[in-house]
Amino acid sequence: MTELALKTRAVTKTYLVSGGAFRSRRRLKAVNGVSLDVPKGSVLGLVGESGCGKTTMAKLILGLEPLSGGEIFIDGRAISKMSAKGIARRVQPVFQDPYSSLNPRKSIASIISLPLRALKVGNRQRWNRQVDDIMELVGLPSRIKHNYPNQLSGGQRQRVAVARALIMQPEVVLCDEPTSALDVSVQAQILNLLMELRQELNLTYVLISHDLAVVEHIASRVAVMYLGRIVEEAATRQLFERPRHPYTQALLASVLTPEPGLGLPETHLGLEYPNPIDPPSGCTFHPRCPKATEICSNVPPHPQAEADRMVECHHPD
Amino acid sequence: MSRLLEVQGLHADLRLPAGMLHAVRNVSFSMDHGETLSLVGESGCGKSMTALAIMDLLPPRGIRRTDKLVFEGQDLMAAGASAMAGIRGARMAMIFQEPMTSLDPCYTIGNQLEEAILEHQNISTTEARERAVYLLGKVGITAAASRLKQYPHQLSGGLRQRVMIAMGLMCSPGLIIADEPTTALDVTIQAQILALLKSIQQEFRMGLLLITHDLGVVARMTDRLAVMYCGQVVETGNVREVFDQPLHPYTRGLMACIPVPGKTRPGQKLGSIPGIVPTPIGDLRGCSFRNRCYAAGPQCAREDVALREVSAGRTYRCLLSPEACAAETQGNWR
Repeated sequence: MTELALKTRAVTKTYLVSGGAFRSRRRLKAVNGVSLDVPKGSVLGLVGESGCGKTTMAKLILGLEPLSGGEIFIDGRAISKMSAKGIARRVQPVFQDPYSSLNPRKSIASIISLPLRALKVGNRQRWNRQVDDIMELVGLPSRIKHNYPNQLSGGQRQRVAVARALIMQPEVVLCDEPTSALDVSVQAQILNLLMELRQELNLTYVLISHDLAVVEHIASRVAVMYLGRIVEEAATRQLFERPRHPYTQALLASVLTPEPGLGLPETHLGLEYPNPIDPPSGCTFHPRCPKATEICSNVPPHPQAEADRMVECHHPD
Repeated sequence: MSRLLEVQGLHADLRLPAGMLHAVRNVSFSMDHGETLSLVGESGCGKSMTALAIMDLLPPRGIRRTDKLVFEGQDLMAAGASAMAGIRGARMAMIFQEPMTSLDPCYTIGNQLEEAILEHQNISTTEARERAVYLLGKVGITAAASRLKQYPHQLSGGLRQRVMIAMGLMCSPGLIIADEPTTALDVTIQAQILALLKSIQQEFRMGLLLITHDLGVVARMTDRLAVMYCGQVVETGNVREVFDQPLHPYTRGLMACIPVPGKTRPGQKLGSIPGIVPTPIGDLRGCSFRNRCYAAGPQCAREDVALREVSAGRTYRCLLSPEACAAETQGNWR
């Protein structure tokens, strides 16, 4: 069996939200029983609409929020038993917006070396050399070492963010929409960089993105999330060629590929993403689902495993 | 019949401490009634500034010059501030990217929709309300009458964008300028909003000037497009022509950069354009793309490159011949 870099088992995160004046607080299940396996050296794409719990999932994996239930294992070790620094040593993030995720008052060298300094790994001379090495690796010229983020372009800033994530040689790099704040031509540079680094360093990525074209391009497996649950999970090619869950099908259909003459797709999804505080009964997707029957509005579907893929639906294709 | 909008030699400059920023340089295009035109380009290419210059909404440091700016037979350069205020919102409406920031959180959407028409037309509030309800229904909002009492924060992003579209339609304008209308929305909602915009545009025979960086949206929505780079139009044409055979090296580069499901092989290295977009400040001689172009030679720095016409409406701004441009394979960008 392949070694798992990241494993989550029935992970749940519940927030208590104010129900309004004089009303009791209500429970919001942002993540509701998510189990995922990410083998070493692979890329897991996590897709879904805004509000589906992707980013909450990221926060849980980074140890920024305590779990409400279930467990996350990094390299076989449970994160609930790890210290914050222990988690930071193994999981590092790359965020969406390189304009707000870099401290404007720190030099590039000090931003990149912060994880080393915070975790007290090595000494000053080694930090210096490591910063030089990592900057070369991500394609940053060493002359900008003492510059500040505002002197850099968006692409260069994102390279700094990647360098900072990689300097600890983490088990898992968590990329939350790593290219959506960037211009098209720069996006391609960063995607190429992420793919090269993965091959060179045998990295494991969790890629959170709403851009399905990007996910198809670099992910090895894809998990589709809806209202805190994984509704379908499969190898990228299988999922894109033969999506089984109606929601996955609608998501894939709404991708606007640059092909003139195809017109706009009709997704039949209806207007609204449901309110996660008040999720629909049964299968939470049923109010928007074209295939919904009576059972869907009453009984929540169970995950069905088939060969190497999983789908959670009463009427999968 | 006269054209809906004619723009010739439009310039917009911004006076900055670092010098004069030439945000829009000599942009010309025209649109017919009911036509869709896309302005495509990366951030900072001047596409939004072009729209703002047309509506006379440049920031205070902005200066615009143009040879010709005629909208529905009226010379906009000669129109004073009050005449422009009468045109904006009434004949020319704008839909912005962020529906959260362009709706006022302190007023109900009913207030805001009614204001859009009461400002321009002499009608009663009851008539204005009826029109608001009618248009909310048109944009696919159910229970429109009760929605009028809601505030923007009570609506989801997709609904807010629909309200923005309804607001733009209140005075039945001749032209809608949509600046990245779906960039802030989920893909599923994006497809719906675009389909809605298209059907309404056809029904009311409005011109749609679509400003976007998303080539997928352009391909599915427009008849014609103009690619902008560094304040200039570098290529124009019909959508099919440009997507099938892009001519300008920049357009070719953009097309090579995006992964296309089913076409690009997963994991394959994507094309990328080296370097970054230059800031158009100061004296700009020569081709602005030359520093990032694989085909650039000494000639490119020496002279300004004019737009060359290949056929009616199909132009590009490069010294290479169309055959030479087309022969450069996309592999040049890998």
